[in-house]
Amino acid sequence: MNKKYILVIALAMILATGALFLPDKQFTKELSPDKLFFKINNPSRFISTDIIAKKIIDGDPALQLIDVRSSDQYKAYSLPGALNLPLKELMDSSGNISDEWIDYLEVDGMSTIFFSNGDICADQVWILCTRLGLKNMYVMKGGLNMWVETILKPQRPAESASSDEFALFDFRKGASQYFRGGSLVIESEVAAEPVLQVRKKKKTVVEGGC
Amino acid sequence: MGPLITQGYIDPEWSNLIALILGIGFGFVLEASGFSSSRKLAGVFYGYDFTVIRVFMTAIMVTLIGLVYFNYMVWIDLTKIFILPTFLTSVIVGGVIMGFGFVMGGYCPGTSFTGVAIGKLDALFFTAGLYIGIFVFSSAFPLIKDIYYGGELGPVTLTDTFGISKGLFTFLFVLMSIAAFIVTSIIKKKVKKAEL
Repeated sequence: MNKKYILVIALAMILATGALFLPDKQFTKELSPDKLFFKINNPSRFISTDIIAKKIIDGDPALQLIDVRSSDQYKAYSLPGALNLPLKELMDSSGNISDEWIDYLEVDGMSTIFFSNGDICADQVWILCTRLGLKNMYVMKGGLNMWVETILKPQRPAESASSDEFALFDFRKGASQYFRGGSLVIESEVAAEPVLQVRKKKKTVVEGGC
Repeated sequence: MGPLITQGYIDPEWSNLIALILGIGFGFVLEASGFSSSRKLAGVFYGYDFTVIRVFMTAIMVTLIGLVYFNYMVWIDLTKIFILPTFLTSVIVGGVIMGFGFVMGGYCPGTSFTGVAIGKLDALFFTAGLYIGIFVFSSAFPLIKDIYYGGELGPVTLTDTFGISKGLFTFLFVLMSIAAFIVTSIIKKKVKKAEL
């Protein structure tokens, strides 16, 4: 047999024998602690209620809202089009997030926004999902409490506020009307003050002479 | 870090260009190994030339060993590579049909194109037949749909089916390949003697 063949066979045998003892590496999608820490410190995951309201009104097809509160609370009130994924049911007994949930959470081209009553529960789900390497995850800043405060019951800014704040207030009023339906009572711009009519005194024509 | 496209290191839009470059390389190597000659390819069935078996066995061996080591170096995630789903019935039926075509025509689909590229007439006829076959198959597809989709097993691998590690499978495959090299060279010698 050709010398080259013997060399190739020997090389293949050595490598194959090596392969026999190589452990099968398990790849985890999980982020390394330093990357997760960087992401947690980055506040860009928080999305304001105004932006979300605008996206809902515009019918943004890339928006996926996920309510992480319990299903009772979800039934009582939630944002329009939101899915319910209770934090307690997210993980199974062994602490893993099931693939079924991940299929919902990781959809190409969709931004997933978590919300709860406040920030905390939604942020917890965000951290769990981010650690798994899922992308395009966001948290609604302030949760539903902030939603009620800003969108459903917007407060009129002080008279001395900037025009931007008034523009925002106008948007919130419109959004409030959108989300609450016809129940909104539109307050008039300025409370009508009784206007004092100043009547001109009739000029009396001077009569007579002298 | 790999697979590069699945992991987002390379945009999927590059895949056509990458396929073109790989295809040129593949065609070059096929031609350089003599796979554009139908006599050489058909030699496997008559026992006078085993280049086909040797080249393919070597290719699989290199890939297997390479992937196992790449996996160990954390360069490629083997759970993420694409595995073609297995349709048992169509693999068996198609394999038999293709085997007959290979013996009769002296080419397999890929090598027939390398034959066309260097201007072999038999390869040209083979390729024409290939396209007629594709047309007939597509036209008759509703009739043979059940055979085509029969025996679906999903993306199964031998290591999963037999429950052995990838390293052990690689080792066994290399042993088998070396045995095949030795056996084929013995057969080749005997055939040559018979011809003389």
